[in-house]
Amino acid sequence: MFFEKYRKKKDGTIRFYDLHSKKIKILCILILLLCFLMFIISIFPAIWVFLGSFKDIKEFRKSETILPNHFDLSVFAKTWKDLGFLKYYMNSFISVAGSVVCAVIFNGLLAYGLAILRPKGHKFLLGLVMWSLLIPATTSVVALFVNINRVGLNQSFIPLWLAFGANAFFVIMFKQFFEGLPSELLEAARLDGCGVLRVFQQIVLPLSKPIIAVIMIFAITASWSDFLLPYLVLDGSGKETVMVRLFAFRTSNATDVEVLRAVAFSMIPPTVLFIIFQKKITEGATMGAIKG
Amino acid sequence: MKEKKKVPKTSWKKKDFLGWMIMLPSIILFAFFVWEPLIESVRLSLYTAKGIHTEDFVGFDNYLRVLRHPDFMDALKNTFVYIGWSLVIGFAVPIIIALLITETIHFRSLFRVGVYFPNIIPGLATVMLWGFFFRPGNTGVLNILLSKIGIESQKWLNNAALTIPLIVLTMTWKSAGSTSLIYMAGISGINPELYEAATIDGAGIRQRIRFITLPSVFSLAKTLLILQVIAVFQILYEPLVMTNGGPNNASISIMQLVYNYAFRDYKYPMAAALSVMICIVLIILSGIYFKLTTKKED
Repeated sequence: MFFEKYRKKKDGTIRFYDLHSKKIKILCILILLLCFLMFIISIFPAIWVFLGSFKDIKEFRKSETILPNHFDLSVFAKTWKDLGFLKYYMNSFISVAGSVVCAVIFNGLLAYGLAILRPKGHKFLLGLVMWSLLIPATTSVVALFVNINRVGLNQSFIPLWLAFGANAFFVIMFKQFFEGLPSELLEAARLDGCGVLRVFQQIVLPLSKPIIAVIMIFAITASWSDFLLPYLVLDGSGKETVMVRLFAFRTSNATDVEVLRAVAFSMIPPTVLFIIFQKKITEGATMGAIKG
Repeated sequence: MKEKKKVPKTSWKKKDFLGWMIMLPSIILFAFFVWEPLIESVRLSLYTAKGIHTEDFVGFDNYLRVLRHPDFMDALKNTFVYIGWSLVIGFAVPIIIALLITETIHFRSLFRVGVYFPNIIPGLATVMLWGFFFRPGNTGVLNILLSKIGIESQKWLNNAALTIPLIVLTMTWKSAGSTSLIYMAGISGINPELYEAATIDGAGIRQRIRFITLPSVFSLAKTLLILQVIAVFQILYEPLVMTNGGPNNASISIMQLVYNYAFRDYKYPMAAALSVMICIVLIILSGIYFKLTTKKED
C-alpha cells in the first residue's frame, strides 16, 4: 500500500504519524510526482540525443517531432565510419587507461604519506594540497601549456596521464579512507618488520579496494570528459580524443545529425559505466565531497 | 627503495625520510601540474613574449593592457551576472531536489540515480546537447515542446537577455544532482528525535522544515555556496561552445577572455596576467571558504 511504506521512513520531515491528515497524504503524492518530473528532466535530454540521432538530415531540419520516423541503426554505423570514430575511441581509451593508473598510484601514495606515515612537515604539504583543491587547474592552464611545450611533451599522452596523478580531490578521498583503516593492523605489520612500502602493498592496498574502485570510476569519467588540456596538447597530433574531436565540430561543416550522433558516441561509454556502477558512483559522490 | 625491508624500529629521522620519499613522485607531479604553473603565470605576466619564449621584463604593462581592453569590462560584468543567476537558479535547486527526494519513500534510489545522471555526461557533450535544445526556429527541441502547449518559438541563445540565464540553466542541469546528494546525506543525518520532539510540541510540516531541516543544512549550504561561486567564476567552455561569448559579448566570461588571449591571439603574457587576477580573487574566496569550514568543525 502506498502510505503503508511510510512506516519505514527514518529521515526527513514527514513521518508515518503525519499521515492521518488528508492534506499531508496529498502532499506526499505531490512530492512523488515532482520527483518523477525531476527524474524526467534529468534523463530526457540524453534520451532525446539518441532518438534524434536516428533522424536523417532532411527529417531533422523539417520535422517538428521528437520521435524519429524510423529506427535504423545503420545510420549510426555510417557516421561512425565517416567520422572515423574508431580512432578517437582508441585514443580516448589510451588516454583514460593511463590516467586511471596514474590517478590511483600517485594520489594513493601521497595520501598514504599524509594519512598514515605523517612525516615531519606533512601538515604544510596537506595545506598546499587543500589549496590546490580550491584553486582550479583552468586558471593556470596557459602556463601549464607553455611548460609542457618547453619540456617537449606536447602532442603526447604523457602529460594527460600524469596530470591525473596530481588531483587534490582524489588525494583527499584516499586520505579520508586511509584514516579510517584500523590502526592496530598497520601498527602490527610495522612491528612485524614490514617496511613502509610493504605495508602499503600488502595491507593498505588490499583493504582499500572499495575506495580504489570509486577513484577508478571517477577518474575514468573525468578523463573521458576532459577536453581543455587534451585539446591544447593533442590537437593536430593524430591522437585526438573523442572530446577533442567534439570540440572541433564548432568550426567544422559537419551536418547537424552527424554532430548529434557524435555527441551520442561521446555519451555512450560514461553512460554504460554509470548503469553498471550507479550505486558506487552515487555513494562515492557524497563520500568525497562532504568533508572535502 | 628496496632497502626498506629491515626497518622494524626506524629512528624518527629515517621514518620521516621514507615518508617524504614515498610522497616524492606525487609531489613532483603536483609541482609540475599545479603549483609551478601558478608561479609561472606570475612570471609570464610580467614579460613580453614571442610564442612561448619570454623576452623583456615589462612590469605591470600586461595587466594594464588587459584592464584597458574593451572586452574586459564586458567579461567582468558578465561574470557577476553569471554568479547572480547561479545563485538564483543554481543554488536553490539542489536543496529543493534533496528535500523532495528525502520526503518520498517510493523509488528513492531511482530518483537519486536519475538526478545524478547528468553529472556523468561529459561537459562538452552537455553544452552541445543543450545547444540543440535552445536552437532558434522550429527544430529547436524547446520550441518543439513549447509549441505543443501553444507557446511561440523563441530565439533563446540569440537573445542577449536570455543567454546567461540559459547557460546557467545548463550548468545547473549538469551539476545539481551531485550537490543534492550531499544535501541528502546532510538531511538524512539529522537526528530523527528532533522531529519527534518538535511534533510533540505541535510543529507542523512547514515549521519542521523551517526550524529543523533548513537550519541543519545551513552550514553545508554556506560552504557549497562558496564552492559554487568559485566554480562559476571560471566558467569557460559553456559560453565558448554554446555562444562563443555572443551575441555581441553578452555572455563572454573572464576565463574565456584568457582562452581568447592565449589560444586565439597567442598573447600568452596577457592571458597569464588575467589568470593571475582570477587566481587572486579565487584565493580570497578560498580563504573565506576555509574560514567557513573550520568554524563548522569547532
